[in-house]
Amino acid sequence: MVAREQFAWVWLLTLVVTYTVYFTAVVLTGETTFWTQIVMFAATAIVQVVIIATVSAVIALRRKDEVSGDERDLAIEQRATAVAYNILVTGIVLVGCVLPFTQSGWKLFNAAVFAIALAEIVRHGLIIVMYRKGLKESKASRGWHG
Amino acid sequence: MAERRLTNSIRTLRFMAGEMTQAELGERIGVTRQTIAAIEAGKYSPTLEAAFRIAEVFGQPLEEVFQWGCVNPP
Repeated sequence: MVAREQFAWVWLLTLVVTYTVYFTAVVLTGETTFWTQIVMFAATAIVQVVIIATVSAVIALRRKDEVSGDERDLAIEQRATAVAYNILVTGIVLVGCVLPFTQSGWKLFNAAVFAIALAEIVRHGLIIVMYRKGLKESKASRGWHG
Repeated sequence: MAERRLTNSIRTLRFMAGEMTQAELGERIGVTRQTIAAIEAGKYSPTLEAAFRIAEVFGQPLEEVFQWGCVNPP
């Protein structure tokens, strides 16, 4: 497994676990105070940063020569990012242009966080899938580098 | 239209080059061993530049290393 795939696993698992806990807490607590929401989100963000930074540093130290990546790493990241970008834009359009007519406050904030989390989870999930399965040129609408 | 795909003879050429390892080939063209493995397995199509570099390592023309063939010939 290349270093970039290991990074993707760390991101994916951390995001899935922390955001599952966060959104479960949001649903269970229902209407909360400003500070309760801030504390829940800050705790989630801090846990993510600590886990990802620590594990990524360990991987980077062990696999120094692979960290910069090669052309395949770049192609995989570009493809995954392109898909995730569409998800993110769709989510942000919903949050910024549709939801304000029916929702407000923390529900808007959490909808935006959900869109960002979903885009990131899809991005890292796709990176892992493409490392594992590869992608046949003939099945792609464009080539790896197109 | 018949389906076409990129195939390659890298495994054979490595064997003929004194059983050159994937890691060694990768090092010589500036990619990881895993990328060479993915190219050999047809899971990744290299850039034109990398393809030329691979051909250069084996001292072969590009078409001897990579082929654009029919999967299901008519």
